[in-house]
Amino acid sequence: MKYLARRLLLFVVGLFAISVVIFLALRVLPGDIATIMAGLNSPPERVEALRAQMGLDRQLIVQYGAWIAGLVRGDFGTAMLTGQPVAALVGTRAAITFPLIILGLIIALAIGIPTGCAAVLARSPRARAVYQGVAIVGGAVPALWGGLILILLFARGSGLIPILPASGFPQAGWADPGRALASLVLPALTVGVIVGASMMRYTRSALQSVASTGTIEMAMACGMTRTQALTRVGLRLAMPQLVSVIGLTFAEMITGVMVIENLFALPGIGSGLVDDLGHRDLIAVQSELFMLAAFFLVIGLLVDIAHRALDPRLGD
Amino acid sequence: MPDSPTPTPRVRADARGVHGRRRMRIVLSTMWSHGTGRFALIVLGLWMLISVVSLFWTPQSLWKTDGYHVWAAPSRAHWLGTDGTGADLFSWLMAGSRTNLLIVLLTVAFAAAFGLLLVAMMVSRHSALAHGSVVAIDALISIPTVLIALMLAVPMGASVAVIVLACGFGYGLNLARVARPQALLAAHSMYVESALANGASAPRVFFTHIVPNIMPVLIVQCSLSAGTAVLAEAGLTYLGVGVPSGVPSWGHSLSTSVRFINIYPLTVLWPGLLVTIVVVALNLFGDALRDASDPLINPRLRGA
Repeated sequence: MKYLARRLLLFVVGLFAISVVIFLALRVLPGDIATIMAGLNSPPERVEALRAQMGLDRQLIVQYGAWIAGLVRGDFGTAMLTGQPVAALVGTRAAITFPLIILGLIIALAIGIPTGCAAVLARSPRARAVYQGVAIVGGAVPALWGGLILILLFARGSGLIPILPASGFPQAGWADPGRALASLVLPALTVGVIVGASMMRYTRSALQSVASTGTIEMAMACGMTRTQALTRVGLRLAMPQLVSVIGLTFAEMITGVMVIENLFALPGIGSGLVDDLGHRDLIAVQSELFMLAAFFLVIGLLVDIAHRALDPRLGD
Repeated sequence: MPDSPTPTPRVRADARGVHGRRRMRIVLSTMWSHGTGRFALIVLGLWMLISVVSLFWTPQSLWKTDGYHVWAAPSRAHWLGTDGTGADLFSWLMAGSRTNLLIVLLTVAFAAAFGLLLVAMMVSRHSALAHGSVVAIDALISIPTVLIALMLAVPMGASVAVIVLACGFGYGLNLARVARPQALLAAHSMYVESALANGASAPRVFFTHIVPNIMPVLIVQCSLSAGTAVLAEAGLTYLGVGVPSGVPSWGHSLSTSVRFINIYPLTVLWPGLLVTIVVVALNLFGDALRDASDPLINPRLRGA
């Protein structure tokens, strides 16, 4: 309980710190926010009007307070271009990004964990070297390039085996689940394969550290085969480490996801954020950055709690 | 948090070994004698050589565009073909290598300095400072680098500095977290106690006793960071917050050709392949350097 309390406190402090950093990054560093939003060559009156309209003429601390008070009420501001509430905007975008991330994670786990086990089970040095090579090369592929290669292989219109849509998301959204899912397959595969390679490396090293404690030999002495011992006993013991890694991978994936959403023209959170930055819609950017950062802090919190729950040795 | 109860330092403080230029020669020749190490040394050596050469000479001028030969196939004049403006792809990749080299060196230097500072804070004897830094690292580590880069890009615009600061910050946090257990083991060891009792200053203890103990971790983390920085450059430049347009970089070459992937797939092949090879080499380099420079693994460094 003591750990949980401290970790929760840490979470709140983290949220606060992030909100201050984001707020200050948009205010204090060079480049006045209203001038940036109005555009480079706009007349001073327009800049002034915009500044007053968005309350940027108030004191910093008042602005910050108003923003945080809005966040607490669930008011994330309105997007400059469309006048839509930012919360609704992020909601529609999340309906694409979250399925993409989850699909990518499933693919990564489906690839990474079995191959990681196989890499430990492999006996001949040559097989080990091959697994090692695959993991290193897989982790070294830029997401952008991986996506392009998959487009060249499988996309309708240009691919060698044209079976999947190359880009875009159906207008109907999830009302048309088949097509919506189909449009996510290539992007998820791109993210999944690349993350799967690092997942494989983590699985391998976690299993090796478990094996070095002698538990695998113990299980084999009790009559299990090596494969059984590794997959039944070893994987379970490696689970706490793997959960931590999966959490961090989640954060790592978002870079790939942003690139991939742009590449496949999916209107998700990542491509939306980049668009808003391009439109200099800084109020929306501010809230979106905060939401994303908060999301990752929650993931970090959940991972730490799960790690504790799975590993009784870490109890208070 | 329970730390390992038995402090068993990896490197004894009184260990006599090989130093100076002789040590460097041994490390390099050990790396060269292994296949992966040799591959990494060759690739990284070529990278540096090409970066320097590109300052004086590229096969074609970067700014010589040729509207009649856009998206040309590889030929004798254009070794890897041309891009959408008719500029020579090979020359751009060559010139890009120096930008990427600069980014990688600056990022790793920043990450190492920041990471070491955090490690020093975590092992310090002021418990408030030590606990506070651990808490701060745990809270910040789950924020992805790309978010930091986007935050910085708002006031700073697309620039090399955004990549270096965002990546250096993120990788520094990571380095500190990974190196912490080893650093604590050393910090609680008898020889550190005795050094302190003999009146050694805290910085001296840190650099002569703690840093050598975390060196293996440091080397591997720095090389992983270097590889990730190359990948991050490609991603961030594509997102429009990395290297500004007009400056040659591998990410620039990769992302300019992306839009026409369906029509000219070959153009996109080379930059991606180049990035992949370099990142593989960087990762292998770290492992090889760790194995070659650790006196516990490489017997030649023990003066044997």
